Amino acid sequence: MSLLHLSFYSAFTLSGLGLAFHRTHFISALLCLESMMLSLYISLSIWPIQTQTPAFSLIPVLMLAFSACEAGAGLAMLVASTRTHGSDHLHNLNLLQC
Amino acid sequence: MNPHAKLISLLSLFLGTTITISSNHWVMAWTGLEINTLAIIPLISKSHHPRAVEASIKYFLVQATASALVLFSSISNAWVTGQWDITQMTHPTSCLLLTTAIAMKLGLAPFHFWFPEVLQGTSLTTALLLSTIMKFPPMTILLMTSHSLNHTMLVSLALISAALGGWMGLNQTQTRKILAFSSISHLGWMAIIITYSPKLTILTFYLYILMTTAVFLSLNTTKTLKLSTMMTSWTKTPVLNASLMLTLLSLAGLPPLAGFMPKWLILQELTKQEMTVTATIISMLSLLGLFFYLRLAYYATITLPPNSANHMKQWHINKTTSTLTAILTSLSITLLPLTPMMFATL
Repeated sequence: MSLLHLSFYSAFTLSGLGLAFHRTHFISALLCLESMMLSLYISLSIWPIQTQTPAFSLIPVLMLAFSACEAGAGLAMLVASTRTHGSDHLHNLNLLQC
Repeated sequence: MNPHAKLISLLSLFLGTTITISSNHWVMAWTGLEINTLAIIPLISKSHHPRAVEASIKYFLVQATASALVLFSSISNAWVTGQWDITQMTHPTSCLLLTTAIAMKLGLAPFHFWFPEVLQGTSLTTALLLSTIMKFPPMTILLMTSHSLNHTMLVSLALISAALGGWMGLNQTQTRKILAFSSISHLGWMAIIITYSPKLTILTFYLYILMTTAVFLSLNTTKTLKLSTMMTSWTKTPVLNASLMLTLLSLAGLPPLAGFMPKWLILQELTKQEMTVTATIISMLSLLGLFFYLRLAYYATITLPPNSANHMKQWHINKTTSTLTAILTSLSITLLPLTPMMFATL
């Protein structure tokens, strides 16, 4: 596995672990989600250069558009959780427990 | 909710589902999954109740992570093999990551923890959408890649799902959570046979959608959100409660009702593949589900509400049962004799 592959895999994995082990704030989970999307964007951008298929160059922009929509939806939910639960602390989300 | 916003959300749900189902390229499949996630978030949180907002936050985090994992597995496969075809997923690490991501999307154990809570926080019709339409795209991706996935991992996911779905549903009093756990155990049955006979997975999936829709629509007619409501709903809609009992027993998989068909065919296929121990284990684990379905059926029909002895049934019923509920309920009870036709045409 080349250094390029290793850097993308480790960037994604570290952000994914940051999302899995988030502790207090919802916004840190959203930030880790955004960094996962960023690592995917950069690897999608470099793939057409490595394999010399310039027709693929529009796909990273499409992916970025969808991840921006997702980030916007996440921020809207951050605001909604502050309105209903008072803060973005994830420990407060316990109304639906078994 | 604003009718225009609701229309846009529902149409986007169908658009996302159609895009993923009809895709050959991984980026199109991911796009459909993202559209689905974005479209159902306003439907989950439409009542702006704190429980609904909490359910939408949990749903969003899990589904966004799973979508990113799907794209990551397809990118790692594309780096190794140089192509983006969904049916040619050959790199084993990518297949493992993809199975994990799809298990998170569907709610297969041990990635199921979000599912009961999200279903609990939404209305009954949105819970129906979450249980049926939102399962279509990930199930389609699993079926398209089923020939290259790891047998052992899928069988172990399926057994854990059947076990957890049965055991954790035993202590529930809220009907939406009970249906969530029933969905988890049905997904276990679907996942156990997918590498041996994908046609049986499709058959199980269609029958699961039929029976779950029939149960949800019946519960929605009487707005039964907990077991105590179910005990007193007999006086308002006696025929619906009787048919609800039969539909619940069909969901449990009792012969001669329609829900027995997928279990029977799956056990037959598993014994043909020399997996008799697995078949015994999964059928024993579905007995746990049978207990809580029987309890629901008992509360729906056999318990007497504390009404006066002269007039058990209400004299004036103002609940109109829709035609759709009637059609789906009768289909989900009586479809077993058509087994040869259904299995042959899939």
